[in-house]
Amino acid sequence: MDIFLQQLANGLTIGSMFALVALGYTMVYGVMKLINFAHGDMVAASAFVGLTIYTQVMGQATSLLAVIVIFLLTALTMACVGVILERLAYRPLRNAPRLSAVVSALGASLVIQNGIMLVWGPRMRIFPELVPQVYWDFNGVVISMIQVIILVLSLVLMLALYLFVEKTRVGAAVRAASIDQDAARLMGINVNSIIALIFIIGSSLGAVGGLFIGLYYRGITFNMGWQYGLYAFIAAILGGIGNIPGAMIGGMLLGLFNAFIAGYVSSTWADAFTFILLILILIVRPTGILGERVAEKV
Amino acid sequence: MKRTLRNILLTLCAISLMAGLSWAETLKVGVQAPITGSYANEGQGIENGVRLLAAQVNAKGGVLGQQIEVIACDDQGTAMAAAICAKDLVNKGVKMVIGSYTSTCAEAAQKTYFNAGVLQTSDGTADSLTEKGYWTFLRNSFPNSAEAEFAAEYLVNVKKYQRIVVISDFSTYADGLANATEAAIKAKGGNVVSRDKIKADSQNFTPVLTNIKSKNPDAIFFAGYYSDGGQLRAQQVALGIKADFYGGDANDNPDFVKLAGSAAQGAFIINVPEPAALPTPIAKNFIADYQTKYGEMPPSIWGLMNIDGMRAIIHAYEQNGNFDNKKAVEYLQNMSAPLEGITGSIAFAKDGNRIGGAYVVKRIQADGSYANEYVQ
Repeated sequence: MDIFLQQLANGLTIGSMFALVALGYTMVYGVMKLINFAHGDMVAASAFVGLTIYTQVMGQATSLLAVIVIFLLTALTMACVGVILERLAYRPLRNAPRLSAVVSALGASLVIQNGIMLVWGPRMRIFPELVPQVYWDFNGVVISMIQVIILVLSLVLMLALYLFVEKTRVGAAVRAASIDQDAARLMGINVNSIIALIFIIGSSLGAVGGLFIGLYYRGITFNMGWQYGLYAFIAAILGGIGNIPGAMIGGMLLGLFNAFIAGYVSSTWADAFTFILLILILIVRPTGILGERVAEKV
Repeated sequence: MKRTLRNILLTLCAISLMAGLSWAETLKVGVQAPITGSYANEGQGIENGVRLLAAQVNAKGGVLGQQIEVIACDDQGTAMAAAICAKDLVNKGVKMVIGSYTSTCAEAAQKTYFNAGVLQTSDGTADSLTEKGYWTFLRNSFPNSAEAEFAAEYLVNVKKYQRIVVISDFSTYADGLANATEAAIKAKGGNVVSRDKIKADSQNFTPVLTNIKSKNPDAIFFAGYYSDGGQLRAQQVALGIKADFYGGDANDNPDFVKLAGSAAQGAFIINVPEPAALPTPIAKNFIADYQTKYGEMPPSIWGLMNIDGMRAIIHAYEQNGNFDNKKAVEYLQNMSAPLEGITGSIAFAKDGNRIGGAYVVKRIQADGSYANEYVQ
């Protein structure tokens, strides 16, 4: 039972990181019907940006306030990068065939990845210990402070995003743009602004995810974005791509699935099982867990 | 118009002649190392060291009158890139190759160098590297079997641990070292409660560690690389596993301490003595020159081991008075007295293994520095 609960805690921690990153994929897909392959690399970049802000801007301060400022500045920087990315790589291809935009996304992924390598170098960089190493032992189940922070902050951010999209006027505009861009435009919605907003939100959430990766695992490499991007992408599909609560549920489920497979079967097989799960989902329920079955117009 | 064309052709001829002449006059030394990727720290250390030694030899007039030209190839720590590097370096006409850092990459490139008669000297410690009978391969470190024997003796008979866990990744080096250590522990009557494998670079080792925790071990031996070892140690402490942590030789890198953070304290690393502890003047001078040129210490002992391999081959060329690789190897295997090296005396056995080697157990202190816990 101890092992089960411990794996549950592990799974929820990595699951919430997957979910934060998956939101970026799913929101962009929801509105633009584009898989933003550069998103994983944006997440990696945010870990490096956070590290630079810590060393250069904050003068290596480790107070709670400093950590909050690092999160805010990183999210702000990555939001700007996200908007620029959309302007340069995706907007010119808005009316081009879908494949062109996907190729552009893959290109942007490589540009960002190699950009990180040029700026920060190919070596693994080590993230500072910004969260004190505090652990609580509940009858053999050990939970660390960083795990609690990751889980709580992720849930708060996801709840906030859910309320924003479901309950506000701008949120309604986002939903409208995801259903039909032309109709939304006729209703007086500035679709370009909505898309920019999507990239701001997605990139900021990805930035928080990237900082969590840095804080939790400590070692960051320029090419780690691919790995996390792929997991988040699978999480988004699992929950139903384009669906915001779906990405949250997909991320959590994928994290738990991974932890339990690694714990009870073999960590070697965790990746293989993840992809088998993806294939099964695509066969049994192609629209994902929460995805709606859209009737094909004939 | 005709004149311009003639001039261009003449220039091209001149350039190719000059290139041809310079080609004939340099000793080409290849570096095959993970200059990017997870082991970039070590790979860059090897490249920097080779370039420094080459500059020093060139300043003294080169080898038998030939200047050394260094050609580096990045194998990224992957077998696929290593195989490409090997072909590329052979095509560029190198006489010897220094590297690679990982056994996997050294192994993937071995046959290409053997077929081309190019000498290869690597710090790869996997036993399999010298078991293929390639005369071109010279190991400048000491094989896994020696370290496994030492580690097992220390864990079982010195510290008397009762419940030992052995972990590795899937690389040639780590798996080989872990298997050899497990076998040696069992041969000494020790108790291995679990033999686990992790995927290198996957970062999340908590699921595996959670299972290990339920086996209640008193010692964990990790045969893998520092980039995973530091995280493994941090996650071990985070899970409240009280066992003593022992990292194999590839954990001996400053990044291990940085990755593990405050959890690094109290972890042990088993390796040959570190660069700063090398006593000889030749080692002190080289490390001082390295610091002057690059502004940092060599990342670990491994780069220096590779430099010693390169020095040995150059020494053999000079003693033989020619660049015959076959004769150079024969010379190195039949030296009357070992060559004095940066990392201790250098001599090679008939199978290409370096002879000798003593291990130490180092404890990581609160400030991240090492303290010798046990010296062989």
